[in-house]
Amino acid sequence: MSNIIEVKEVSKWFGDFHALNNVSIEVPEGSIFGLLGPNGAGKTTLIRMITQITSPDSGAIVFNGTSLQSFNIKDIGYLPEERGLYRKMKVGEQALYLTQLKGISKKEAHQSLDIWFEKLNMQDWWNKKIISLSKGMQQKLQFVISVAHNPKLLILDEPFSGFDPIHTEEIKQQILALKEAGTSIIFSTHNMSSVEELCENICLINKGETLLKGNINDIKGSFSKCLFKVDFKGSQVAFANALGYQFEIAEIKTKGETSSALIKGFDKITPNMLLRSLVNFVEVVSFNEVLPSMHDIFVDQVTAKNTPVDV
Amino acid sequence: MSKTWLIIKREYLTRVRKKSFIIMSLLGPLLLAGVVIFSFWLNIEESDNQKIIVVDDNYPMFQGIDDTKYIDFEVQNISLDKALALLDVSDYTGVLYIPSNILNGHIAQLHFKKTLSVNIQRAIEQKCQQIIEMEKLEDFNIRESDYKRVKSPFYIQTLKFDGVNSTESDVLPAMVGWVFGIIIFMAVYLYSVQVMRGVIEEKTNRIVEVIISTVKPTQLLMGKIIGVGAVGLTQFVIWAFLSATGITIGQSVIMSQVYTTENVLSAENMTPAVQQQMLEENKLNFSEFSKDDNIFNSISRINFPLMLGLFIFYFIGGYLLYASMMAAVGSGADNDTDTQQFILPITFPLMLAYIVSISMFNNPESDIIVWMSIIPFTSPIIMIMRVAFGIESGDLWQVYLSMALLVATIALMVWASSKIYRIGILMYGKKLNYRDLIKWIKL
Repeated sequence: MSNIIEVKEVSKWFGDFHALNNVSIEVPEGSIFGLLGPNGAGKTTLIRMITQITSPDSGAIVFNGTSLQSFNIKDIGYLPEERGLYRKMKVGEQALYLTQLKGISKKEAHQSLDIWFEKLNMQDWWNKKIISLSKGMQQKLQFVISVAHNPKLLILDEPFSGFDPIHTEEIKQQILALKEAGTSIIFSTHNMSSVEELCENICLINKGETLLKGNINDIKGSFSKCLFKVDFKGSQVAFANALGYQFEIAEIKTKGETSSALIKGFDKITPNMLLRSLVNFVEVVSFNEVLPSMHDIFVDQVTAKNTPVDV
Repeated sequence: MSKTWLIIKREYLTRVRKKSFIIMSLLGPLLLAGVVIFSFWLNIEESDNQKIIVVDDNYPMFQGIDDTKYIDFEVQNISLDKALALLDVSDYTGVLYIPSNILNGHIAQLHFKKTLSVNIQRAIEQKCQQIIEMEKLEDFNIRESDYKRVKSPFYIQTLKFDGVNSTESDVLPAMVGWVFGIIIFMAVYLYSVQVMRGVIEEKTNRIVEVIISTVKPTQLLMGKIIGVGAVGLTQFVIWAFLSATGITIGQSVIMSQVYTTENVLSAENMTPAVQQQMLEENKLNFSEFSKDDNIFNSISRINFPLMLGLFIFYFIGGYLLYASMMAAVGSGADNDTDTQQFILPITFPLMLAYIVSISMFNNPESDIIVWMSIIPFTSPIIMIMRVAFGIESGDLWQVYLSMALLVATIALMVWASSKIYRIGILMYGKKLNYRDLIKWIKL
């Protein structure tokens, strides 16, 4: 699969402040890419380079196979984290204006907006003033404006902030539908559960440096702490004896006939090694490797200031 | 370009559609016309018709006194005391007492219950004077036509000599220039502040990032400046049009009134009808008689195409200069209060120009005024006034220099402002200071 956008070793200085240091990302076409990092990590700086608000001091950005050009603005949709609307304009007027600014005709803009307004049940908003909309409604309108010109690449910076769970779900479904339809999406957020739910690939940056990047499952696998959760029936003593020197019990609980244990392995342990040592002594009911959540990885990585890891 | 056009259109339409714009556009000239009409009205309108008893000690000398539209004279051969007693109980409004020595003393008395307006007094004076003059003509055996030929009003024509030609100088062209200057001052101030507000609005609304991800900051800046400027021009054109219409209508109403009131207003009045009347009566060229026809001469002496051309140039130039500076300030601020420390130094030259413009009537060619008419920050206001006062052909280079400097300064300011602007609009929560501004320009 080709990449819709490739950011190649870009750096950016703001005076003495090194906002980005040799950051590279590749977003495969038709996928959702998570751009993660704490506040001030350089996410917005990176996004502003892709949206051509600022330009990199060094490095290159390739869009759809060729160097990023100003006419590519038409192919990029952007929902910034800090976003707003002209409060005194009417909804339709404003949506048309901002969509036309992307470089498409009024007629096309109108057609596309009609479709989106219908999709999100906003038809009767057209003549309302922005000021009369609730915050959630405004967020929804902003989302529509960012996608109404049918961009190839959609950049969403904290798209769910300000939404109630119902609207969040509605927008999430729209994002997934866009992805199915072939739109590539860069998704920047602090909300790790939505990252696990939506993203295929991620890049974690901190203080302008890449900490982690790659496929989300590969990353989680690589951060495996050899933790296994085993539910079994049988004697706990037998269970403990069955474990070799490579394992130790981190936690064990009993609920009726079934016990549930959390096993920590040492060295390079595979799940099969553990299973093999257990099956002759207890009845294994369920077995799975406990992978760290993205949340844990995020916190560990950012606080530990680990050296960059490439997966 | 089409994107800049879209921005201009939005900036323009959202402002022009505002209720406040429509109200101001209609109300502005209405207020102005109101003031003009009212002040005219004050001069001619009398509260009541006057019924005046004329007590003539030389009866029937004043028998021939004519009524005017507002004054009925009744010549009575009674004593002053009786007349005053009558005044007390009747609906007469005044008693005009002509003493017997009127031809030598030249003083009559007007007794009234309610104060009479200056116009009424002047009209009565004129009526009396006419009769006295007629009496004296008869006494000295002078024919009326001879008298009219002898009677010659007098005034001094002041001429400004520029080495080649002398041109008449008087205060009216200066007034016109001053009005032009003040309009520029107001427009530059009001609309450049609007640009600043617009920038702050976009910034605090946080819509700016969406927009500059689709257009260049310079496009947004220029679109805003041009759009708001067009609003200013529109308002000015509406005002000019409505004022002209209002003044024309007002004048024709007033003038028709003037004509029918005959001599209530002084005979020097300018309606063609009055002129015609005078011409017929005197067989003399009216314009030689009247000093006031100067207004027309003065106005026609103003080079309107030049003045209008310069006005538009300095209007737009001054606006662009100040609007770009204000936009830079707006981009660096998070709210209106942040901008105070910058607005004062920026608007100081404007204020100075305004103050100096008033002193210009006394000394239109002082060094300071020459300098201020060349320096771009004050030239939009001062130079237009200098030209209206009448600039020597030898000093014309100063006009060209001032225009060239203004254009160059605008280019520089727009450049510097867009540098500040594109960084400033994405900066939040940082209190703006001069060091940052300079740093951003250098970036």
